[in-house]
Amino acid sequence: MNNEFTEMLRPFLKFAGNGEISEESRLRDLGLDSMREIELLFAIEDTFGVAVPDDKLVDSTFATAGGLWDVVEELRAPVGGGTR
Amino acid sequence: MTAASRYDAAVETVVGVAAAHAQATDSAAAFPTDALAAMRSTQLLGLLVPATDGGPGGTLTDLVDVTEALGRVDMSVAMIFAMHCQQVAAIAAYGAEKLRAEVLPAVARGELYLGSVTTEPGKGGHLLTSESGLERAGEMLRVDRQAPIVTGGPHADAFLITTRAPEAGSATQVDLVYAARDQLEIEVTGGWQPLGMRATHSVPMRLRGAVPQWQVIGEHGGFRDIATAVFAPLAHIGWAAAWLGAAAGAYSRVLRHARSEAGRRQFAPSSELVLLRLAEIRIRLDAAHALLRHTVSVVESASDMSASPVQLLLNTLKIRAAEESFAAVHELVELVGLRHGYLTDSPLLVERTFRDLRSASLNYGNDRLRLANGALTLRDPGVRLA
Repeated sequence: MNNEFTEMLRPFLKFAGNGEISEESRLRDLGLDSMREIELLFAIEDTFGVAVPDDKLVDSTFATAGGLWDVVEELRAPVGGGTR
Repeated sequence: MTAASRYDAAVETVVGVAAAHAQATDSAAAFPTDALAAMRSTQLLGLLVPATDGGPGGTLTDLVDVTEALGRVDMSVAMIFAMHCQQVAAIAAYGAEKLRAEVLPAVARGELYLGSVTTEPGKGGHLLTSESGLERAGEMLRVDRQAPIVTGGPHADAFLITTRAPEAGSATQVDLVYAARDQLEIEVTGGWQPLGMRATHSVPMRLRGAVPQWQVIGEHGGFRDIATAVFAPLAHIGWAAAWLGAAAGAYSRVLRHARSEAGRRQFAPSSELVLLRLAEIRIRLDAAHALLRHTVSVVESASDMSASPVQLLLNTLKIRAAEESFAAVHELVELVGLRHGYLTDSPLLVERTFRDLRSASLNYGNDRLRLANGALTLRDPGVRLA
């Protein structure tokens, strides 16, 4: 996870305070709810220039910071050399 | 109509007992102890206990069939039954071996009626948070929980209680804990004097006690997953069945009356107004019923219950079944008029059903679910209809 990502996450996690956000951090436990999740999704798409496909929009995608980062990384990596 | 099932005899017995006492329990806002005794003796309480745990292994469809049948004579009894089954399903799906062995065979034998403690002062019915902590005390976990509404609380043999997980950093880390009545000190802290659903006897309570670690269902902080996979689906499906049953029961009584000699004089079946109203009510019930059965089939085959299309459908079921069932009985009141639609002593029981069903949109608020669905729609821009 890079710093840009964790600092983007922080405002959506009302219980995170200034504490460390690690790969294992459970986003729900830190205050991410279904309403904030949508705003976080928009922030991810704007910040990293990715479009999260519908089938990734399940609870498991938003379970941990590291898991969500993996999804972002996967989407950023050019697949088959193509760009969108 | 549903096919004859192995539970028909049990259902018929409970329906008979519930019908015989419904007026008295409604009038006194008293728990239907006779109907509960019948649910114990017929072992209907064990419906959802898997065969491997000593039960009949009833399915979601069985739950809908039975709840709807009970709802036709007494919506309170149907709600009590459906909510008990929701607790059983949670233990069956997430309980550790020791807890399953302790609880499920006893449920199957009719010995345990399980209550649910999810409401909390300040948060209303919000399911996924809890402010009351579970605290470690040596090997035990100490519970001290206030709940403003506990359906059947004074009569439950054990409870599933949501609490904040031990050492939780936030109110969203919620545990689901099993506690038997004799592990708790139970204080009823107020009364129950509602408009409808009076026989659910849903009093405010304070529960204090301590339970061993193995009585935590799933892992610490794991209630959210249980809610997604079992608790919310069974609540919405069970409630919808109770509401639809209640509306169908009232509608059926009105139709039978309308076809009787006395009724034909009163209702003029050739009147187009009467026919239009009768048709409208049936359309509502058929639509809600179709949605209910479809939702059951989606839940039974869903690979990920957290997928937006599934969540949306489950919330839609709750919202729609509440609205259609209440609208149906509201129109019945209009159709049958003051004597049979407004007076408590009418044998058609439309008035009681109307009061009972007024609760449907409030029982986990429709508006709260609409907000959730609004957010969920944005998670599904492809509109993959489940």
